[in-house]
Parts: sequence; structure tokens; C-alpha cells
Amino acid sequence: MSSFPIVDARGIRKEFPNMTSPVLDDVDIAVDSGEIVALMGPSGSGKSTLMNILGCLDGPTRGSYALGGRDVSTLTARERAWVRLHYIGFVFQSFHLIADHTVLENVTLPLYYAGIDRQHREARAMEMIERVGLGHRVGHRPAQLSGGEKQRVAIARAVSGQPRLLLADEPTGALDTKTGNEVMELLLELHEARALTLVIVTHDPEVAAFCHRQILLRDGKVVSDGRTHAAYA
Amino acid sequence: MRRTRSEVLGRAVRTAIRNPGRTSLTMLGLAIGVAAFLAMVSFGSGARSSVMEQFEVLGTRVIYIWTKVNDRSFGGSARPVTDADVEALLRESVTLERVVPRITEVQNVKSDYASLPTDVTGTMPDYVHIREWPMLTGGMFDETDVQQRAKVAVVGTTVVRELFGGRDPVGKLITIGTSLPVRIIGVLASKGQRTTGDDLDEIILIPATTYEAFLGMPTGYHGLMLQVRHLGLLETAIAEAGPIMRRSHRLTDIEQDDFRFSSPAQAAQLARLVSTILTSLLIGIAAVSLLVGGIGVMNIQLVSVAERTQEIGIRSAVGASPRQIMGQFLAEAVVISFTGSLAGVGLGWLASTLVARAMAWSGTLSLWTMIGAAAFGTSVGVAFGYLPAKRAAQLQPIDALRHE
Repeated sequence: MSSFPIVDARGIRKEFPNMTSPVLDDVDIAVDSGEIVALMGPSGSGKSTLMNILGCLDGPTRGSYALGGRDVSTLTARERAWVRLHYIGFVFQSFHLIADHTVLENVTLPLYYAGIDRQHREARAMEMIERVGLGHRVGHRPAQLSGGEKQRVAIARAVSGQPRLLLADEPTGALDTKTGNEVMELLLELHEARALTLVIVTHDPEVAAFCHRQILLRDGKVVSDGRTHAAYA
Repeated sequence: MRRTRSEVLGRAVRTAIRNPGRTSLTMLGLAIGVAAFLAMVSFGSGARSSVMEQFEVLGTRVIYIWTKVNDRSFGGSARPVTDADVEALLRESVTLERVVPRITEVQNVKSDYASLPTDVTGTMPDYVHIREWPMLTGGMFDETDVQQRAKVAVVGTTVVRELFGGRDPVGKLITIGTSLPVRIIGVLASKGQRTTGDDLDEIILIPATTYEAFLGMPTGYHGLMLQVRHLGLLETAIAEAGPIMRRSHRLTDIEQDDFRFSSPAQAAQLARLVSTILTSLLIGIAAVSLLVGGIGVMNIQLVSVAERTQEIGIRSAVGASPRQIMGQFLAEAVVISFTGSLAGVGLGWLASTLVARAMAWSGTLSLWTMIGAAAFGTSVGVAFGYLPAKRAAQLQPIDALRHE
């Protein structure tokens, strides 16, 4: 497996205007290309904020962040959107599908914003939908799908733009154990097939066990980072 | 890029259709604004052309001189207006093309079938030229008829209808008053009614000499009709004709004019000014209603942005640029405004057609006025849709995503 860092964040500090202590304080995190990393920690530890920064949804107050070798810590809103479009895919706990769009339309969204014409983006989206096993559901709307199916649609959407980094925020948090495991297996399959780098925010040790590496945050700081199954109380 | 633009619009249409009640109410606001605007524009141009029509009916280059002989409010003793005044004006003025005397009184007029009290006017052949009044059949009496005090008459279409049941009266006899039989030699084309209700076609013209000889003219003519060489000379002609009339009446410097002027052209100018002011006022009010329609678009788009905050967050997370988000909401404003404006043009066209019909005005809206109104309404809607779209584009993706 190749091992140059796709994510190289150093000294990341994040403050919010109406909070006394920083949410992230001097966080260093490097993720190699092709790695699967679990980002763990109790609520309020800053793991979601870190994910937002790694996903270019937000910028750090201080610190540097290089994504795929280029500095993205000081980009404008428009440039960050471009980076998200071409490098990053997101999977959220609550799926975040657009309610009045069909499965197909949800999955084509990144391709639409990338300016790919209708025919090509629908072909690519169909391929992804079949890949996640929902070929029979393309015309359905999210409300007509089960939780596991919704998350499969979200995953199909996240990878349809062929990102290099997939960020998943509690991807199994809203699902039962069996469905959750199926979703994790799907993520691992895609990782294998596409050499995806996966960063999964979770507080579920079972999910963390799927990962190569676990990073534990507490009070805005990295308290452990290693290939052991971190003791997590 | 063109393909994506049409796609953005297509998506906006779908969003608009998804919420039909709200969309149509928003459109209605704008439609009413555009319709009001169009109706006022057409009302204005209709009123103006109606003023012009009335003005043309009276003759475009005409000045009237009225005697003050029968004017009780006039202090001194007024001298009658006579043929000597006509000759003086024609001889001395350089601005006048024609001068015609006129005396009009109501007389009872009888045919073999019916009788009718109607205006009988004694005048000269040029009368019809000054009034720019074409003949329907037959011809106007001529100088020979005037010299011979011929018992001939030219009549209007109302007289033909009332006295002859609409049959061709040329060659027939009518009796004016008790004892003046005249032969009809021509019929004047119809001029219709004035807005005051006067029937312009209820008219009988006979030579002034015939009038004087058989009906009597104890206080001279009622007045003169002066035709100016061209419209621009109206003021000059009045300034020139005044002193000529004073000399002809041998007025001393301390005596007031024993005649007065009136001019339909001046009255028409005033009427036009009034209708222009009125129209601008109404268009102003219509513009306000268009503005209110625009604010409606802004309101609804602000609500839409607020409702779809999470959707905006999702789009943004997926990689939509602020510009693309803004484009989406602007496209919705375009769709709503354009459709609303089109409906408004339809409504406005209907309203102005009905008004024009009710007021018997000619001419409704030109195609370009309608296109202009649609474009204007659309721009208003889009201008007001800008702020909500901008707000959507400026949302922070993480805040928008967290929004429930």
C-alpha cells in the first residue's frame, strides 16, 4: 500500500466566538493514502469539528492543513467548495439526502455540480447505485427507503464524484447492528476497490475495530494514536 | 455551460411546481403589478389619442373669433362681425389661409316625412375645408350659390336619418323655419359624437347670403373661423388677427376687444398636458404595485431559503460553489417572475382591451409595450430575488447542515 500522507494537518486550533476554551487545541494528524482511520472520543471531544476541518467544510483558526500535498487551510469559501467537489466525499449519521430528489438525483448531485452532462452523470450514478445494491430503487425518494438503504444511497453519492478522501461521521449511528455491519462492509469494499482513504468518526468500538488505526480525542487534544484497539471507556 | 444553464432553469421550474399554491400566489402579486402597469400605459395612450381625435374633429389649424354683440357681460357696445372683417383679415394677415364667417341658430326643419329642431349654419364654401370635413355624397355649395343666395343646403348624417329615414336625400327639399325651402345638394361624412355628447352630425349648412336674406342676421355673424397656414403659427396668428380686427372695428386704444378668440389646438394642448400628468401619476401607482409584487418575490424566496437551509448545506457539502447555490435560487426567482409577468401581460391586455372598448378608444397595447412590461416585471422579480439568493450562497455549510 502506498504511504504518502493524503491528510497532513499540524497544530490545528479551532476556536468559536462564544466559547472560552478552544474546541481543538494543537492537533496533529496525518493520514496516509489508502488508510482507514477511526476518529474516536466522547461527545464534546472535538472529533466532529476536526472532521469538518479535514473535509474543508470549515477552516482552522490556526494551524496548517495540507490535503494531497497542497495547503488548504486558508482557502476562500469558493475554493473550499472546489476541493470538496473533487477530493472529498461525506457520509453523515442522518444520511442528509435531499428529500424531494429521487435516489438517482441524489447520487448525481456531485456530478451535476462538477458540470458533467446529464447522460454521463446518470450513467456513472447508475453504476454506483447498482454497486451499493439499490438498482431496483433508483426512482424512489428517501422517505420510501429503509435506514440502511438511505445510507447506501448516501455512500453512493459520496463516492460518485470519485473522491480520494471519504469522511464518514457516525455512519452506522442511526442503524441497527446488522444493517450497520453491512454498511461498514460496503465501505470496506469500496475502500478495496477504489483505494479510498477513509476517516470514520465513531464512538462505537465495533466500528473502530474495522479500521487500521484509531485516533482518540479528548477535550480537543489527541490523547492516543495507534494501531491498537484503543481502550475506550 | 449553456446546457447546465437550461438545466438550472429546468430544476427551478420543478421546484416551483412542487409548491403550486405558494408559487402561484407569489406570481399573482407580480402579475397584478405588471397588469396594472400595462393597463395604465394603455389608459394613458388611449386618453391621449382620444384628446387628439376630438381636436382633429374640430379642425387642426383653426382659430375661432366670437362676437361679443350678444354678450351682456361686455361693457361697451360691441360692433357686429361682418364681411368687412373677413375681407380685412384676408387682406392684411400673412398667417391665415382661409377665413369663413359663421352664424348658427336652432331652426325647425321639415321634410315630407318628419320635422326636427336642428342647428342651421349660414357660412361659406370653405367651411368644409377649414373643418377638414369630407362629403359623403353630393357636393358643397359654391361661390355662385353664395352670390345668388341659392336655396341649397348641405346636411349631416343625423339629419338624413331623422328626416329621410337614412335614404339618399340629395335633390330632395326641406323647409327651414316657416318659409325657407332649400334643396339638399350634399351630405357630410359622419363625425360622430363629441365626448360632451354633442352630435356633430346634426348640422345643416346653407350659404351665409341665403341665411341673411331669408332668416335674417340683425346682429351680424356669430363669429369667424380662421385657418392658419400651419399649426406652428397658431399663437402668431392670434397676435396678428387681434389688431386687424380692432382696426376693422375702429376701436380706440382705450376700448376693450369687442370679440374674443378661442382655439381648439390650445385647448387640446392643455388637455394633453393634463392627461399626461394624470397618466404619469397612474403609472407611478402601478409601479408601486409592481414594487410590492417584487417584495412578494423576495419574501417567498427568503422563506424558501430558510426552509431549505439544510438542503443548501447538503449541496454545499457535496461541492456546490456559493455561485451555484446562488444561481439555483436566482433561477427560481427568474421562473416565478417571468411566469408571473407573462400572466400579468395577459391580464393587462385583457383589462386594457375592456377599458378601450368601454371608452370607445382606438388602439390598445403594442407588442413592444407588452414585451417591455414582461421584461420589466421579470427584472423587478429577479432584482428582489437577488438578496435571498445571496443569503443562501453565504450560508456556512456546517451551520446549514446542522439546521433542522
